[in-house]
Amino acid sequence: MTFSEEVLMAYADDELDAPTRAAVDAAMVSDPGIAHRIARHRALRNRFNSAFDKILDEPVPARVLKVVHSEQGAPRKSNVTPLRQRQVRHWRWPQWTAVAASLMVGVIAGRLTLMRGENAGPVMTRGDRLLASGVLAAALSDQLASAQSAADPVRIGVSFRAKSGEYCRTFALRGAGGLAGLACRADDGWQLSVLARAESASGDGGTYRQAASSMPAAVVAAVGARMAGEPLDQHAEAAARGRHWQP
Amino acid sequence: MGSSSEDLRDRIIELLPRLRRFARSLARNAQDADDLVQITAERALARADQFRPEHSVAGWLFGILRNAWIDEGRSRRRRETLLEPEALAERVGDPAAGSDPELLCLQDALARLPEDQRLAVALVLIEGLSYKEAAAIMSVPVGTLTSRLARGREALQSMLSETPGGPP
Repeated sequence: MTFSEEVLMAYADDELDAPTRAAVDAAMVSDPGIAHRIARHRALRNRFNSAFDKILDEPVPARVLKVVHSEQGAPRKSNVTPLRQRQVRHWRWPQWTAVAASLMVGVIAGRLTLMRGENAGPVMTRGDRLLASGVLAAALSDQLASAQSAADPVRIGVSFRAKSGEYCRTFALRGAGGLAGLACRADDGWQLSVLARAESASGDGGTYRQAASSMPAAVVAAVGARMAGEPLDQHAEAAARGRHWQP
Repeated sequence: MGSSSEDLRDRIIELLPRLRRFARSLARNAQDADDLVQITAERALARADQFRPEHSVAGWLFGILRNAWIDEGRSRRRRETLLEPEALAERVGDPAAGSDPELLCLQDALARLPEDQRLAVALVLIEGLSYKEAAAIMSVPVGTLTSRLARGREALQSMLSETPGGPP
């Protein structure tokens, strides 16, 4: 009797139903080649098992434990709160994330400004800097996270004071391929420090987009690196807008 | 949510070592793997209300980690094409890389498999899940899982038979 490699693999993994297993057992008696092939599958399994098992004995890094211990109670649905709960300031993304993010700014922004004419799109260049323009600039200056609707072309996320004093806000553009980023107030407008494609909602259920994790990792990391203290609550946000985002 | 949320938190803490092991079969770099575990814990706690108690917590968490890895993979591939020298430099500077040559050898072999075969191998051979559990995490029928696993294993056998140091 001959068996496919898949059947012998399943034998090695203890996944066969009783009749098939008995048939393999019986065939093995007269054909030592079958036992040899099964042994080969078992050896591979054991080799992976024992090498990776050592990871179980490693201490879990504090930054991972902190996530589980720091989140308290039920998460709220807003896009702002989970960022605070997640204590993004403690994230240690490898340095290349920031490098990659700044490269992505160039690539994506180049495409946006070319596509829409130098100053007509949501992003414009001034020297080697990127500034918000059009609907994005308007939303960053006027829109409050606590009072926005699904129809707004820009969704504002968190607002905060940077360590260097200026106000910064995260945003997501609807219908621009899901771009999101971080803008900080400069003398001549909102300067973009990170612009990245928002994570896709596909493959992970419809609620994904509502969660804070729709913020690209590069943006979350940039917020963590810049934020001084806590994000602004709705009163502080409104007060900052009233001062035209001047520190 | 109260006590059920606290139970979930405890279960996540218990499962962190296994999540780290699973993540290391997907990401070679230990830092990247722990980033995946961190994202998984965050997403699981943020979506605790979506967990169905009749399912296994481990399977649910593995599924979240798998999705995070696939999301991350898209941006990683972009980065790698842009940043190969830096990525290599980072790997050289990583104290975890090279600490265990056998583990590194197997991680390198896994990294050469297509995504779907790599997941099948990681869930069944490394995590020890049943075909049924692994298929559920990958959202495919058991037959599909079985053929991916078989192809992945064959590829690994031929890769690893070329390298010295394996078992006889």
